[in-house]
Amino acid sequence: MDPVSTLPTLFGLAWLLPLVSFALIVLFGPRMGKAGIKAGYVATGAILASFVLSAFALFFVWLPNYDLPAEAHPATAESSAGGAHAGEVEHAAPREKPAITGDWYTLGQFGSLRITIGYYIDSLTVLMFVMVTFISTCIHFYSFGYMHEELEEVTDHEVTLPGGDHLRRRGRFHRFFQYLSLFCFSMLGLVIAGNVAMMFVFWELVGICSYFLIGFYIERRSACLAANKAFIVNRVGDFGMIVGMMIIFATLGTFAFGDVDADGDGTPEPGIFSQVRTPANHHALVVPDGMVKAAAVDKIAKGAEPTPENIQAWREQMEPGGIGRYAYWLWIVAGLGIFCGCVGKSAQFPLHVWLPDAMEGPTPVSALVHSATMVAAGVYLVGRFFPFFTPEVLVVIAIIGCITLFIAATIAITATDIKRVLAYSTVSQLGYMMLALGVGGWSAGMFHLITHAFFKSLLFMCSGSVIHAVHTNDMTKMGGLRHKMPWTAYTMLVGCLAIMGAGVPFAIGLSGHYSKDAILAQALSFKDANPRLGFLFYVAAGGAAITAFYMFRLWFMTFAGEPRDHHRYEHAHESPKVMYYPLVILAVMAIVTGWSIFGFGVQPLLEQARPAGILAEAQGVLWTGLVHPDEHLSHLEEFHVSSTWVATMTGLVGLFLAVVFYGVRMLDPAEVCNQFKPIYNFLMGKWYFDELYNIVFVQPLLFVARRVAEFDRQVIDGIIDGMALVTMIVAYVEDFIDRYFVDGFVNVFADWTYGIAVWFRGAETGRVRQYVMFIVVGTVVMFLLITFYLNYTFAGS
Amino acid sequence: MQSSYATLLSLIVFLPAAGGLALAFFPREKTDAMKMFTLLVTAAVFLLSVVMALPGDGGGWQFDAAVSEMQKVFSISWIPSFNIYYFMGVDGISFPLVVLTTFITMLSMAASWTIDKHVKAYCILFLVLETGVLGVFLALDFFLFYVFWEVMLLPMYFLIGVWGGPRREYAAIKFFLYTLLGGVLMLIAILILYFASDLTLLSKDQLIAAHVVSPALAAEEQDAQVAEIKNSAGAVHTFNILALQQLGQHTDAFDGIILGKSLQWWAFLLLLIGFVIKVPSVPLHTWLPDAHVEAPTPISMILAGILLKLGGYGIIRICYPICPHAGYDLAYFVCALGAVSMVYGALAALAQKDFKRLVAYSSVSHMGYVVLGIGVWTAVADYQFNPDAWKLGMNGAMFQMIAHGLSSPGMFFLVGVIYDRVHHRNLDQFGGLFAKMPVYSGLAIGIFFAGLGLPGLCGFIGEVFVTLSVWKYSYGLAVVAASVVILTAAYILWTLQRVYLGPEYKGPHGDHLTPMTTRELAIAAPILAFAIILGVYPQAVFHYMTPSVNRTVDELAAWTEREEPAVAKTARSAPAGAADALAQDNSPEHAGDKRQLP
Amino acid sequence: MNLLTQPVGVSHYLIVGAILFVTGAVCMATKRNALGVLMGIELVLNGANVNFVAFGSDYLRPGVIGLGLDGQLIALFVIVLAAAEAAVALAITLNFYNNHSTVDVDRADELKG
Repeated sequence: MDPVSTLPTLFGLAWLLPLVSFALIVLFGPRMGKAGIKAGYVATGAILASFVLSAFALFFVWLPNYDLPAEAHPATAESSAGGAHAGEVEHAAPREKPAITGDWYTLGQFGSLRITIGYYIDSLTVLMFVMVTFISTCIHFYSFGYMHEELEEVTDHEVTLPGGDHLRRRGRFHRFFQYLSLFCFSMLGLVIAGNVAMMFVFWELVGICSYFLIGFYIERRSACLAANKAFIVNRVGDFGMIVGMMIIFATLGTFAFGDVDADGDGTPEPGIFSQVRTPANHHALVVPDGMVKAAAVDKIAKGAEPTPENIQAWREQMEPGGIGRYAYWLWIVAGLGIFCGCVGKSAQFPLHVWLPDAMEGPTPVSALVHSATMVAAGVYLVGRFFPFFTPEVLVVIAIIGCITLFIAATIAITATDIKRVLAYSTVSQLGYMMLALGVGGWSAGMFHLITHAFFKSLLFMCSGSVIHAVHTNDMTKMGGLRHKMPWTAYTMLVGCLAIMGAGVPFAIGLSGHYSKDAILAQALSFKDANPRLGFLFYVAAGGAAITAFYMFRLWFMTFAGEPRDHHRYEHAHESPKVMYYPLVILAVMAIVTGWSIFGFGVQPLLEQARPAGILAEAQGVLWTGLVHPDEHLSHLEEFHVSSTWVATMTGLVGLFLAVVFYGVRMLDPAEVCNQFKPIYNFLMGKWYFDELYNIVFVQPLLFVARRVAEFDRQVIDGIIDGMALVTMIVAYVEDFIDRYFVDGFVNVFADWTYGIAVWFRGAETGRVRQYVMFIVVGTVVMFLLITFYLNYTFAGS
Repeated sequence: MQSSYATLLSLIVFLPAAGGLALAFFPREKTDAMKMFTLLVTAAVFLLSVVMALPGDGGGWQFDAAVSEMQKVFSISWIPSFNIYYFMGVDGISFPLVVLTTFITMLSMAASWTIDKHVKAYCILFLVLETGVLGVFLALDFFLFYVFWEVMLLPMYFLIGVWGGPRREYAAIKFFLYTLLGGVLMLIAILILYFASDLTLLSKDQLIAAHVVSPALAAEEQDAQVAEIKNSAGAVHTFNILALQQLGQHTDAFDGIILGKSLQWWAFLLLLIGFVIKVPSVPLHTWLPDAHVEAPTPISMILAGILLKLGGYGIIRICYPICPHAGYDLAYFVCALGAVSMVYGALAALAQKDFKRLVAYSSVSHMGYVVLGIGVWTAVADYQFNPDAWKLGMNGAMFQMIAHGLSSPGMFFLVGVIYDRVHHRNLDQFGGLFAKMPVYSGLAIGIFFAGLGLPGLCGFIGEVFVTLSVWKYSYGLAVVAASVVILTAAYILWTLQRVYLGPEYKGPHGDHLTPMTTRELAIAAPILAFAIILGVYPQAVFHYMTPSVNRTVDELAAWTEREEPAVAKTARSAPAGAADALAQDNSPEHAGDKRQLP
Repeated sequence: MNLLTQPVGVSHYLIVGAILFVTGAVCMATKRNALGVLMGIELVLNGANVNFVAFGSDYLRPGVIGLGLDGQLIALFVIVLAAAEAAVALAITLNFYNNHSTVDVDRADELKG
């Protein structure tokens, strides 16, 4: 089958099936069978079909068409470069990695600027599709058992009404699956996204699904707050991402990852990756032309031609104040902006605060959204964007990852809520992935992403099974449960071993063994190249010990020893089959994911998807001397062997401590806590990030908002009302003038007229005889006048 | 043909008014019949606009989306002594707004069923209002434009002042005075432009393009008319908006200096203030919260959905094309106005306790995107003459107007639905509505998310397009615009939490919280449906809009290239011939293939 | 010139008319009885009539191209008018009497300003 035409169809179908399921449940959800149970069938069927399609695409379309590269194994690596340093290694000719790109649909096009829904399919996409659909399918099945209470009327014991009763409400079984379907659609869209804009679209959509799922118990105030917090904190990250996107769009003129023939003229327009690492330049990192031109805008305005030669000349002006340096800064800011989005989504320091609170959602949600898929999306995006990042940005990523993994691991030690321990563990492991990517371990980071997805969803589902049995999250009320629920206990043990990275050095191990080894090896190799950044390796190694400690602390507190709460213990029972079968399947996956059998496995697939270009060719410009050793160097014996030993030993140390404290209880944890009271409180307070953010950001923002609203009411409206008042006063003054001056004049005149009239009135006596006298007298007078004075007038006749 | 167009457009504009006249003869007590009749009239107007939107060649009544110029133009002499014409036409900028107007008016009439005070007067004023709004969108004569602008004002005053809430008089007068002030400033600007205009400066092609001389006439008749204009003794003043655009872009008619600035600078400023009051932008926005809070629900819907769009429409249609030089000088000011409004509105919304007030401030914030998107004067992109980013911004702004025209009336309606039931709007006294009114809450969350700019809903497209276009213009404004996403999420989610989520309802009249009626559902559901359709298929609007918007941008970009030496020099390598904006074809991609990698 | 010695001419008629007029006027001015006033009016009118007839008489003023029969006609007109006026005045007086039980014109001062 022709992969170029088949794969987009297959994945498109697998991507849209959950959307269909979502639409069906939205429209007909409550009417689907009793209490909407058939909504669960629809959603599960859709995601199962997606998984089948993805698996089909992987095994019958991808693998037959694209040969996997030879497995990168210590032995081969050794032979290729004998103990040499990064710079001296002879590089193989840059190889084109197989990737299928294209557009499905245009949202808007203005001139050459296009915003589209497209796809970018390489083996990482394929792998992610299979992983996401597989875990989602498991969790859909598991949810049938976990959410069965929602089929009837539910009494929510977490919500107490003012009357003292617990809230009773209708079950929302169908709604849960509705959100799950929407989430799967969004997550798959994010994975297949062919450009940053589409990535952002689905980035937001998974965010909103996460909002709905965290706030699934809408009656619980804590759940609503956690949902809000998750979305808003993510939006802070998105802000940075938008800035990054703006820079990319404005300078490179495209959002597409790969080269897409948008105008249909037969020659594909270069995408982001080819502009940053041009094929002509052997995929080495150069400041893209667009950014140079953006930096040289003043020069161009003064008349310089942006010819290729000029651009090259400007690009080389790397001294402070030079154009090339400015362009480089622009590039760094764009990279940091994109990474900012990843910090939000993958719960990295300093935006990690939302993830532990997100545990308010139902446990299947935590297993799917907040451990395996959505939170991994940030790491996935860093992996996707890897060719774009300059060494300086990568170092920032590494340092952020390092801080995150340490902070989260320390908090996990003291947490007693079983899901929160896992949540902090997730944050910490995501930190590992970021660290791996940041030190140049692309395949190591992505590998850990895949293995972590399996064992962390397994761990969450096990914890869900426990919660389902004992109806509490608090580990201090558990203990000894392995007798009651063996399936859960031992699958969880597998999960703990996997995350600890258990295995026999150089022979075999659980999946985490391989991925953690790879990360440590790369960190060690990086330390070798940049001694000043050696702390990254030490923290990662120390973190491995802490990981083992808190995971086994969790296991021992839950399943081993004596029951602490007998009432709950008595009522505990193993979960139904629909819940523990997925656990078993995932446990198997947690063991085998790291293995490569006959050249097939996760690692070769990732090797195939590795971004083109050689890391070590790009050295830090602002941070001179910064260099990222290529990843295959980490397979050298000097790094690989020591890192394997370090990983194994630190894991064992952690395990040993856990056994001492919680397994055989030689030491009392409470006493130790008392001894280190301040540190313990600090960790229990989660390093007081929530309080700090509340004081530094939330309260000032609300304060400003209130002042703005007040400004509106008092000042602007005050001015407006004041103007109205002034007008009114003027009007009153005018009224006064009118009344007392203008009107006064008129009135005086009228008064005079009146007075005269009154004076004349006296003549009107009403006496007829008097009138006759007037007539007579008048006539006589007129006669006399005419006769004696006006005689000339009449004399003429 | 002209008479056919005259029939069509006059029918659209005056059918509501005629309906209002007919309503006057209804017996006073038949209130339901009156409401039904009004609804039918609005529905008929909506159908007319839908008929125009159907695909067709444009020869008949169908709007031809491929044409970027004015179409369905007719011109009838009205007041000859002042060269005033009954002159109307429609293009891709006004047409989507006309459809939006007829649609939202119909829905808000359906939402008016709860009005039971002076129903006859209400319906008549309502219909007159629709006539005024449609007239503004379709008028091409500046005087006619102004007349409709004022026609629209008075019914609104009464609709708020008579049927409003407790402080209705205050709100109505505030609204009236603000808008009147804008109207008066606009009148001054109109007169400035009128007396500065002179048709004899225009060439024959320009006169025909401006429909001063009808393009439909035979060549000899055109020549005769042109000669008549050219041979007139003095200046020939005009109110023709298209002719004023030609004068502004191609002649120095408006470059006379007055008080140290050019005539067009003053005209631009006056017009801008008039339109910005309507948009509204900070600091001229305070009439909006009061008017919204006091107005009855359907009037709030019209106010937010349609009346605010008149401001944006005016800026796109009048301010920039007529006064390009002033627009170029003041572009940063306009953009800053938009950006400040976005942040300010969002912050103020965050602090509100009154549900309707919150939605009103969200309008201020969302309309800020419109002003910002219109203003990004980035004619030079990628160091060639290529205004793609500007097109992106202006199209985004226009789309944002349509999107906000859907989401905002939806939000006001949904607030009205609960206000009708519990008679208060205090955000702290809600909660738990999801359990009591699930369908309502589902719709509400959908529509509020459309306002939030969630992908897949209409708000996203406009906001993202505008935001993306800004970086080229100014880094600082771009960062400000991007930061608003955080604030928007904060106030919308917080509102949703306080109103819909939580265990139980905390306010009075809890037993009145009955599920939505069919009528209410029939109003809210189409809004959400369109919000989704436009969110996933924005081409539905861009199809009609883009050619005309791009043409506007191209003309202004061509002007920039001719008139701004500094910019033009930057873009020396522009494709030849782009300068002659009028001669060029109307293909939006005329400046295409900008990127060639070495 | 002694009128008593002259043949009867216009002047004598005018003297009679004047006497009648003055008598009538004095009667109107002095009588309080409305009927008396009416009588005075008749006297005044007839005084004027005498003058008209005298001036209009061809016999008394031969050779004067004057009014012809106009004087007589106007006299007749005045008589008719006096009759009509008397009828109206008497009706008013009767009405006045009905309302006020008197015909004293001094009591009728309701038109006082």
